[in-house]
Amino acid sequence: MSEAPLFPFKRTRRFDPPDEYGRARAERPVFPVTLWNGQRAWLLTRHDHFRTVLMDPRFSGEFARPDFPAVTQARVAIDKGERAFVGMDNPRHGHYRRMLTKEFTAKRMMALRPKVEAIAAGLLDVMEKKGPPVDLIEALAVELPALVMCELFGSPYEDHTFIMSCAAGRHGLKQSPEEAHRTARALVDYCRRLIEVKEKAPADDMLSRVIEEHVLPGTLSREDLAEICSMILRAGHDTTTNMIGLGTMLLLQHPDQLAELKRDDGLIDNAVEELLRFLAPVQFAPRRVALEDVEIAGSLIRKGEGVFAISPSANRDEAVFAKPDAVDLHRDASQHLTFGYGIHHCLGQGLARIELQVVFAMLFQRFPNLRLAVPAQEIPFKNDMQIYGIYRLPVVW
Amino acid sequence: MKFRIRIDESLCIGAGRCVVQAPELFDQREEDGIVILLQETPDGALYDRAIRAAAQCPARVIEIESGDKPAG
Repeated sequence: MSEAPLFPFKRTRRFDPPDEYGRARAERPVFPVTLWNGQRAWLLTRHDHFRTVLMDPRFSGEFARPDFPAVTQARVAIDKGERAFVGMDNPRHGHYRRMLTKEFTAKRMMALRPKVEAIAAGLLDVMEKKGPPVDLIEALAVELPALVMCELFGSPYEDHTFIMSCAAGRHGLKQSPEEAHRTARALVDYCRRLIEVKEKAPADDMLSRVIEEHVLPGTLSREDLAEICSMILRAGHDTTTNMIGLGTMLLLQHPDQLAELKRDDGLIDNAVEELLRFLAPVQFAPRRVALEDVEIAGSLIRKGEGVFAISPSANRDEAVFAKPDAVDLHRDASQHLTFGYGIHHCLGQGLARIELQVVFAMLFQRFPNLRLAVPAQEIPFKNDMQIYGIYRLPVVW
Repeated sequence: MKFRIRIDESLCIGAGRCVVQAPELFDQREEDGIVILLQETPDGALYDRAIRAAAQCPARVIEIESGDKPAG
């Protein structure tokens, strides 16, 4: 590999991260790369460095910093306009995040499981009635998170296509900065209107509760809530959709593993952790910028240089996971870093886990003979997106 | 044989992984999801679960002290 090759790299196999990561883990784990604008940045390819850097206050996660690293010019445009706490350091980050953590506690998420099951059952009914072939992305992967967000958060169901297009619209690797900025702002504008609606007609949902507890007493402005609301909506739709698509395809490509899952109901929680480890759809985040010179594993990260913590690589770290490139639904995969680490660890991970546990268990119970309707090589993968996934997954049963 | 659990509440981000792993040992505050330690010196039978909860915490909040001899 050249001294600091252009990032991001290309995949050579659809279910494995780029080969450069494996070589970097072995030879130079904190790996120098060059970004689209010529800026130097570093990849954290190993599990241990991923965790130490994300706990290290010498690295900042402020998206608005002029030196904050991004994989595209479009992403810079989005970062500059980001006002939600995903792009803030503590203590500001914690101040806002704490207004929402009560909504995502383990007990709240467990209590939501029957609702998620009812939603999944309804979607599987529709699939069954329609009959094969069905595009699983359209029929299930998009619909399930959309309906769950509608139930939990309070976003109207009829708006989910718009929300999804805004979520996906910011992750393109080829889009223009203008388009990215426009899409990002369109969703915040939508959220502003949604807040007005909920303020007038509160319902039993997260958005109405946050308005009552924080906006009406004056501890959170409507503008700040619109930004947070936009962040939650796009995070709640796109990532889970991609995990459902990728996970289904991966299981269909590993019939021996799928047979184990069908045989043993108790395996599902463990299986979902392994799918999360193996698939890690968020490819180029979390990101940080060094606030001072920091040396890690023989690489000197200079003040102002960016860092990408690469979960698709850390999740394949041989030091943590034996035979990391094998799918093994029985392994202990719980140390995966797919949801990040440290203060920005995914707020919705508990919800995502329940959605995935429910959907994979119920899908293969309902359609034990589920299989691809077309040859595997014809399935289109999202090679042009920052969040990896599948565009269409035609299935029969 | 008992062992000791310590938590640093100021680091907690309310992810709740500890509650999923060991609901006998951990809970979360209703108002902000911050960790509540239910037993400071639990029975050794819960040691493995405590270790798992600590390992899965994304903010390194939980510390398990096993003493000279592993508990259990």
